[in-house]
Amino acid sequence: MDEKVEKIIEQHQGKPGTVISVLESVQENYGYLPQQILEQVAQALGVPLAQLFSMATFYSAFSLKPRGKHTIYACLGTACHVRGGARVLKGVSQQIGVKPGDTTDDRQFTLETVRCIGCCSLAPVVKVNEDVYGYTTTDKMRGILDNYKE
Amino acid sequence: MITVTINNKKYEANEGEYALQVLKREGIEIPYLCYHEALSPYGACRLCMVEVTGGARPGITTSCTLVVTDGLEIQTEAPEVVRIRKVLLEMYLAEAPGSEAIQELARKFGVERSRFADFDIEAKGDRCVLCGRCVRVCNEVLGVGAINYASRGTKSNINTPWYGVSSACIGCTACAYVCPAGAIDIIDSGDERIMETWNRTTLKLKECVETKEFFATEKVIDHVYSKALDLPEDLKEVSAGSRMRRRASEFLPKYLRK
Repeated sequence: MDEKVEKIIEQHQGKPGTVISVLESVQENYGYLPQQILEQVAQALGVPLAQLFSMATFYSAFSLKPRGKHTIYACLGTACHVRGGARVLKGVSQQIGVKPGDTTDDRQFTLETVRCIGCCSLAPVVKVNEDVYGYTTTDKMRGILDNYKE
Repeated sequence: MITVTINNKKYEANEGEYALQVLKREGIEIPYLCYHEALSPYGACRLCMVEVTGGARPGITTSCTLVVTDGLEIQTEAPEVVRIRKVLLEMYLAEAPGSEAIQELARKFGVERSRFADFDIEAKGDRCVLCGRCVRVCNEVLGVGAINYASRGTKSNINTPWYGVSSACIGCTACAYVCPAGAIDIIDSGDERIMETWNRTTLKLKECVETKEFFATEKVIDHVYSKALDLPEDLKEVSAGSRMRRRASEFLPKYLRK
């Protein structure tokens, strides 16, 4: 078994209802939920693999695909939408060359859409990791994203 | 024994049972998809709605999750109940346009056409109504858990992990047996059983040493022997018919008069 998983399971073992916490830790450690790792988790916890897959596909916090180092959340809530959020999303999507929900080949960025981050006065809003950017435009986003590139 | 009133008529019922069980026993017609006597009540399909007219909590609820209490009064044909039932059946027709069983059920309860038929374009030939009977039989009864729900909302579906060939599936066919929509395809061909719906998961069938018929998958036999203790070993390799003949031929000579 993979050492990292072994450790994660050890941390949670014996406590009922640990499956979600285990999946969260796996996601944190691997960046996503790899199939082989979930197979090991299922075995160790005695939970059917189908159930883990069910949970992993139900919660949007879990990803079954590798994710980028940075996650871009383009807001499409009502306020952002009215102020051109969709256009900003399209611009970002073209800049990094992936559709919402996908990750760039160099594993730098994952593009996601969200419905309101809770700061509509700054619309249109884009969040990169935990940093919030307001009054965004396609041009501004180019500069912002450059700061995250290595 | 307690007394419940259904459609203004009194019936006897056992304490702790569900209203739907009483309805079924008394032959009172009510549609349902997610309920099955071998499985825990689920309350997912909402078709078995009844109106509770008396007692502590009046209102409309699913009879499959309604525990009967003494003096319970329910109506199965109240106008609101019938209306809800028909809308639901229309939705199921749109959800599973490919299922003849669902069409038959809808027709039986007076629904021929669905106003929602054009909404779910992705549904096309889909037959699954997501009642979850297959999931529950696989998990609860068999203890296998080869299938489960995947995704969420309109993308919700039932399948194997990663939509691949299942290593957990034992090929018992219980999922197809309990499916109310006829949505699960299984093909036996030669010495193989192919679970078409579960991404062509293929299992080896065992041949009866006496009649040469294929009677169960090897994994089913292993599963049964791993769960039940003290099963005679020689029954591993014979079909149900041969099993009976074998036991009878041992038993009868002992008791028949010479």
